[in-house]
Amino acid sequence: MDHFAEVYPFSAIVGQDLMKKALLLNAVNPKIGGVLIRGEKGTAKSTAARALARLLPEKQVVDGCIFGCDPADRKGLCPECLVRPVPLPVRSTRMQVVELPVSATEDKVVGSLDIEQALKCGERKFEPGVLARAHRNILYVDEVNLLNDHIVDVLLDAAAMGVNIVEREGISYTHPAAFILIGSMNPEEGELRPQLLDRFGLCVNIEGDKEADTRVEIIKRRREYEHAPDAFIRSWQPEDQQLRERIITAKDLLPNVSASEDMLTMIAQICIDMAVDGHRADIVMLRTALTIAAYNGRTAVTEDDVREAAELVLSHRSRRQPLSEQQQQTDKDKVEQSIQKSQKEKNQPEQQQQNPENQKPKENTMPDGSTTTQFAEGQPFKVNQKPLAAPRRIDSFKREGNGRRSVTESRDGKYVRSRIPKTIGPDIALDATIRAAAPHQKGRRGSLAVKIETSDLREKVRERKMGNTVLFVVDASGSMGAQQRMTAVKGAILSLLIDAYQKRDRVGLVVFRGNTAEVLLPPTSSVELARKYMQQLPVGGKTPLAQGLVKAIEVLEREKMINRHTIPRLILISDGKANVGTGSGSPLDDAKEAAARIQDAGISSFVIDSESGYIAFGLARTLAEEMGAKYLKLEDLQADQIADLVKGIQA
Amino acid sequence: MQHFEEIYPFSAIVGQEQMKKALLLNAINPKIGGVLIKGEKGTAKSTAARALAHLLPDRLVVDGCIFGCDPADKNGFCLDCQKHAGELTTKKAPMRVVELPISATEDKVVGSLDIEHALKQGEKKFEPGILAQAHRNILYVDEVNLLNDHIVDVLLDAAAMGMNFIEREGVSYEHPAAFILIGTMNPEEGELRPQLLDRFGLCVEIVGIHDPQTRVEVIRRRQKYEDAPEEFIRSFEPQEQELRDRIVRARALLPGVIVSDEMLLMIAQICIDMAVDGHRADITMMKTAATIAAYNGRTSVGVDDVKDAAGLVLSHRMRRKPFSEQQMDRQKVAQSIQKSQGQSAPAMAHEHTHTHTHNHQH
Repeated sequence: MDHFAEVYPFSAIVGQDLMKKALLLNAVNPKIGGVLIRGEKGTAKSTAARALARLLPEKQVVDGCIFGCDPADRKGLCPECLVRPVPLPVRSTRMQVVELPVSATEDKVVGSLDIEQALKCGERKFEPGVLARAHRNILYVDEVNLLNDHIVDVLLDAAAMGVNIVEREGISYTHPAAFILIGSMNPEEGELRPQLLDRFGLCVNIEGDKEADTRVEIIKRRREYEHAPDAFIRSWQPEDQQLRERIITAKDLLPNVSASEDMLTMIAQICIDMAVDGHRADIVMLRTALTIAAYNGRTAVTEDDVREAAELVLSHRSRRQPLSEQQQQTDKDKVEQSIQKSQKEKNQPEQQQQNPENQKPKENTMPDGSTTTQFAEGQPFKVNQKPLAAPRRIDSFKREGNGRRSVTESRDGKYVRSRIPKTIGPDIALDATIRAAAPHQKGRRGSLAVKIETSDLREKVRERKMGNTVLFVVDASGSMGAQQRMTAVKGAILSLLIDAYQKRDRVGLVVFRGNTAEVLLPPTSSVELARKYMQQLPVGGKTPLAQGLVKAIEVLEREKMINRHTIPRLILISDGKANVGTGSGSPLDDAKEAAARIQDAGISSFVIDSESGYIAFGLARTLAEEMGAKYLKLEDLQADQIADLVKGIQA
Repeated sequence: MQHFEEIYPFSAIVGQEQMKKALLLNAINPKIGGVLIKGEKGTAKSTAARALAHLLPDRLVVDGCIFGCDPADKNGFCLDCQKHAGELTTKKAPMRVVELPISATEDKVVGSLDIEHALKQGEKKFEPGILAQAHRNILYVDEVNLLNDHIVDVLLDAAAMGMNFIEREGVSYEHPAAFILIGTMNPEEGELRPQLLDRFGLCVEIVGIHDPQTRVEVIRRRQKYEDAPEEFIRSFEPQEQELRDRIVRARALLPGVIVSDEMLLMIAQICIDMAVDGHRADITMMKTAATIAAYNGRTSVGVDDVKDAAGLVLSHRMRRKPFSEQQMDRQKVAQSIQKSQGQSAPAMAHEHTHTHTHNHQH
């Protein structure tokens, strides 16, 4: 258990002060409710979380209790401690960091039947899981955004109540599970569900340091550490000790810290102005401000404490678009305004720093003399996911998650839990089967230690991401160049790409212009690549719509052969004004014919109509009907963005 | 030592110097953190990775330990070795290349409940998986970009910590899993997730050789090998031994290699200018530059070592910008180097250095 013998010391981490502060505040006051550390790779996220373990103060536990119950808290005792004679034996121990690996299965998280006990004595005994160990400790989840949806649900349940209720495998058990949740994640790999997000008291966004000298210091310390870890750790002992003492002092001071009425009003005002959901933000902000004051050795909360707390508490709660850095700045400004408002000072006239960037398209002259134009990308926006939501094959327990995961029938998914099979198949969950058989062993006879009967059999329930293959079929003809239309289209595609990346969809790009259609990017999991090609997309020439659609069918059919689990999806972005055909017929008829083939092939499709202006031909709508596609105008896709902002981000 | 399993000798691989260098550097200093070899089909990617194992010197392991714990590293012991810390015996064992097949299931990778033991003895026992075998060895993933997402997640977790935590199928267990990760991929079949990409210390991109003479040599050697593998392998044994000795010498030299503050500043400047994420690139570049110096029999890192290291460390970490290929811009690196030299030239008179400075090494 004691593996933190060789852990990089907390105080030796260079910079990242906000992250360190957030972690320390939680060590002082566990009621803050944990931290989520979001940041790019290689920024000491995990290092800090693990290093925190060595700084944590001692706590009193009931001696011999597996959950480490708090002797002072009669109401929070586990079933065993409740029936023990008083006074309870007490022992003091250090808080721990308990890790939840991403590969964890449900039985080990919530706890399950103790197999050995059951086999040997025929008794049903509860075997505690990770949640039990986490009680009154820190539960650390690295790459928390990669955690299985089902495990997240279990985690949320326990976090919300501070209690873990187990009803499984013939066992009924309830035990306390109040823990500080620390998670780290790289947002590039997908976002967290808002519900889980809200469970984290604080959130910090970190990135690598941009100062050369600081970077050198980081390299040096790392070198020193790897060279002689023990000596390095020893040399940082004094600093670590200092932090430890500061935590203890702050802990002692905390009950005496108070916040004035003014400060409370300020907190409330900030939360109102930032339009956060519910009241958790207010409460956490107050707790954080109190803890910051205590950490600084003061007994009264100041304006600066509130300001600092606001930054830690609000960053993951204010409704803003992902991926926009500007927003973060305006958030800060907004907090500042709220503070001023609550102080009833004169509001200075607000300055809007909108800098309308001139996005003039670039013109290139092609070797053949024709001109093509490259347009800038429009701003990405949050995609309303309803029109794009994949058809799912799901069990009733499934909730809407971040990635599209589905329970699969095949054997190549991730084993999450077990169930009683309807028919006995090949994918037997032996651990669960043995657990089911275990309590009955005394009554059974056999040559093996465990006699298993058919009724004991359990099968594995696997989850697997049902990857979509999203093929963008983009009209890059001359008509798309009008009125910055392509800029809007690129913005739309970019938004869809970001969405696709977070769901690990495969994406491809087919473009038609001039006389032909081209597969610019065969389906790949590299959204980055797709984005690159999309940005380089030249516009100009005629509209061979039918060719584009035919090409798309080819690509998707090939894709289906490679990966039979994939769900092919096609997104056509065009104004529908076909003027180059495939044969002798009219270009439009050819396009309609190809569109009908798409429907026949069972490819679920989606048409984004880029037509705008006074004279509307509605050709894209006709095509959408032929394709059996959902139809949306480019403007509507953007309008949804506004609707989304109003409703808040509801993934 | 001399197991003539039929593996094409490392030194018989024609050309592909970058790739061979990257592999050798990892052999000298496993802390560099592995190599990702990107390239078209049929460019000796897999051959080189497998052949590397034969070059690696034997190392001490705890006798009877399934993880092959390092007797000198008490902090890194597995649970069993911790328990019996006083009474361990050691033995020499060669390093292995452990393969992670694309079709591997999660339970086989991380380990699971030992079914046989459970059924026969009625006891729970942990059955180690591929990550356990990989400890202190090379973990080789062919076509790493085709690996299932959830396996990648598990791999990331273990690679980041050097530990494998198991909470599944009725068992709780943890064991050390520090391995050199070598992956190969053909970029045409899809890219790797950036998070996994970053876990590879180095990355080389290789293409087929276009010089006809050299191509002929490739064919000739392959033919010889296939006709009489044992003889062919034996004929390259002197070269193999030479490389082996060179690795051993470099390993001995490595702890004494000095990276001056000036060089560190240069490394930091390059990483800033190339806009890499986080700090892993800086640290890896420092280690790689030091290892290159050791490989060349020197005890201090020079500008060329940094330049060399930058080429290996940065290519997969750069933020790709539109309109530019992912290829690292050598010119930009050269500019950063000049910039940092301009900055630091007067300032670095006194610098604290590391212990040894035997410069009379050849």
